[in-house]
Amino acid sequence: MSRNENPTVTAAASDGTGHLDQDGLLPQLVAHLREHRTRLRQEWARRIQEAHLLQAMTSQEMTAETTLVYDNYVEVLETGSVEALQHYARDLSERIIPRGVETNEVVGIVLLLRDVLARSLFEKYQRDFSLLNRVLDAYEPAANRIANTVAVSFVEERERVIRQQQDSIRELSTPVLPVRERLLILPIIGVLDRERARQLTVQLLSGIRTHRAKVVVVDITGVPDVDESVANHLVRTVDASRLMGASVIITGLSPEIAQTLVTIGVDLSKMNTIGDLQGGLEEAERLLGYSVARDDGVGGP
Amino acid sequence: MTSPRLFSILRQGLHLIASVHTALDDSQLVRFQADLVERIGADRARGVVIDVAALDVLDSFGSRTLRDIAEMARLRGAVTVIVGIQPDVAFAMVELGMDTGSVVTALDLEEGLAELDRCLAASPLPGP
Amino acid sequence: MAAVGPVGSPDQSCASPDVAALIPLVRRIVAARVPDRATVDDLVQETLTRVLAAAGRVEPGMLEPYAIVTARNVVASMWRDQDRHRRHQHRVVDLRPPPAPDEDVLAGEDRAAVAEALTRLSERERTTLLAHEVEGRDTRSLAVELGSTAGAVAAQLNRTRARLRVEYLLVSERVEPPTERCRPVLLAISSGERRRQREVDAARHLLECEVCARLSEPLMERGRARDDAVRVPVRGDADIVAARQAARELATRLRFSPTDITLIATAVSEMARNIVRFADSGEVVVTELEEPRCGISIVARDAGPGIPDVERALQDGYSTYQGLGLGLPGARRLMDEFAVVSETGRGTTVTMTKWRGEA
Repeated sequence: MSRNENPTVTAAASDGTGHLDQDGLLPQLVAHLREHRTRLRQEWARRIQEAHLLQAMTSQEMTAETTLVYDNYVEVLETGSVEALQHYARDLSERIIPRGVETNEVVGIVLLLRDVLARSLFEKYQRDFSLLNRVLDAYEPAANRIANTVAVSFVEERERVIRQQQDSIRELSTPVLPVRERLLILPIIGVLDRERARQLTVQLLSGIRTHRAKVVVVDITGVPDVDESVANHLVRTVDASRLMGASVIITGLSPEIAQTLVTIGVDLSKMNTIGDLQGGLEEAERLLGYSVARDDGVGGP
Repeated sequence: MTSPRLFSILRQGLHLIASVHTALDDSQLVRFQADLVERIGADRARGVVIDVAALDVLDSFGSRTLRDIAEMARLRGAVTVIVGIQPDVAFAMVELGMDTGSVVTALDLEEGLAELDRCLAASPLPGP
Repeated sequence: MAAVGPVGSPDQSCASPDVAALIPLVRRIVAARVPDRATVDDLVQETLTRVLAAAGRVEPGMLEPYAIVTARNVVASMWRDQDRHRRHQHRVVDLRPPPAPDEDVLAGEDRAAVAEALTRLSERERTTLLAHEVEGRDTRSLAVELGSTAGAVAAQLNRTRARLRVEYLLVSERVEPPTERCRPVLLAISSGERRRQREVDAARHLLECEVCARLSEPLMERGRARDDAVRVPVRGDADIVAARQAARELATRLRFSPTDITLIATAVSEMARNIVRFADSGEVVVTELEEPRCGISIVARDAGPGIPDVERALQDGYSTYQGLGLGLPGARRLMDEFAVVSETGRGTTVTMTKWRGEA
């Protein structure tokens, strides 16, 4: 859109693109790249290996992918279609993101391909210097454009995938279970870092309101390495629940770990900790005023 | 005595029900505290429920004011229960690092009144 | 690159090809100033990233000039080894002419420069502008007096403001325009009139003129900064509530989660209270962020006594008034990024950021 409104700079900026169609250079260029497809693709694959990129892939996968990418690349050069380019980039991203490919690798391989092709164009046209200049002028903006679009699409796609994964993990990992009237159980499984502790607390708090819970049993049997930071997250969860009028019982904390936490200075006095889930549920029912199964003073301090 | 638009203090039996109706700034909170503490004395209330459901933020000053009220009420022989703290507000309070230790809380007004009855039943005569 | 950002903005996705077309231009500018090829590549990418992120808010015709200016800036900030954004964030409030002019264009803080710039207007321009801005006269009554129409007066006022901004920048930067073309170009950019920009060939001039390239940046970013920043003067208790409501509104508009909105409002409340308690007056500025992703930035600043020991003030339990000592450390826990700059006797600026997402 800026082309017509600002002719001077545009003309100064990208002389190349204009000549491209007039000279019929583009078909010539594309034909050359098609003709030497096998050799150039192998050269490219070799450079990728040298640069230690895409190491997550087997050599078969590598052959398949590089062939596909190569053909797409040339096609985009030929048609210049932005839609095709974006579509291709998104496709590529979808295929390679699950294999753990990083952004720098994608940018890296596309730039390598750009260079391999540029070098081959150079070899072909080196005897006619002015033609070479025109060919490279035509090639470079198009190739840069491809690199840029691929990188942008990859990052977008990657972010989308990550968001999706985070959402599903979040839903799976912190179920707030209403066991009986006014009683919730929150079994935590997996690593409890700050971000997860926050999500879990927010979820628990809204659960408390929805179910009008008076008592919550938080079971941490499934949390590995309960250390000072995990304990501090739990203290905040307990505090926040209490502000909503609900008592929290922590179960699944072994006496040894509890002892260690106290030794390093974690204040467990506000936490009602009970060894196992069964004991925790009995304590919860006692707090709720239901029949007391046993009363052996397992409550916290 | 009190501005009905900002907060209200109503008597219900032996208890006072104080409701905050809108976000209060610091000086309005101070006035709320003064009015409520005065009413606790004047009405010889045994219990106080403070409903803060309308507050979208309880920052350090707001929390401290509520704690001060509870402490002053205790000195006048009344038990205080804070009710209606919203989930997000509760979360922000602990993230902020508030020491929420001594204040009694409940989910809502109904629970708060029940909590008051429980507290008073446990210690029929709070102090001389 | 990640800045392409938020979901569902079709205009941004079709902006990228245009940005790609800028690559040769940007490369030429950078390569002329930086010898090392790898660095050139880096800087070109950085420039494009910034242009890409700004594509949505820069007028379509101004994308190239914007890229030119950005490329020069990126090179310059590489030499300075200092990111412009950071420099802004940590700036203590200062009533003397500060190094970066754009915020002052908005705030009009630098009175001396404004006064000097005013004298450079024509008598008629000045009188009309002052009657409108200072005395609060409306365009209709001014039109009657001047024998003109309200629309014409409004247009003239816009041109005058555009000129004032240009003159203000020249004064506060202490530069004389090196060529005769500079003023018309800057004026065209300041007024945002695209037709006029074409007539004076603004884009080419920005390529050639170092001074204008530098000066034009705040002028081009002006519109945006004014649109999405909310300023709340903080002088008393009631302003604390106003400040947190302003933050709440913007955060809601940016679709933050309810939990995050409450965290942000609480942090703003703490910082605004610090201003009231320690400095009597100051301001809270709430700004939308687009880079590297959607977020909200809050700057709380005052010209009060300052904090003698920032490190200590950031520790829990430290407090100089009868609060709970949660002010700074508490607010820091609520936000994603937090920076305090304070100078004894000069004032304090707290800059905090929350990014939208995860929670």
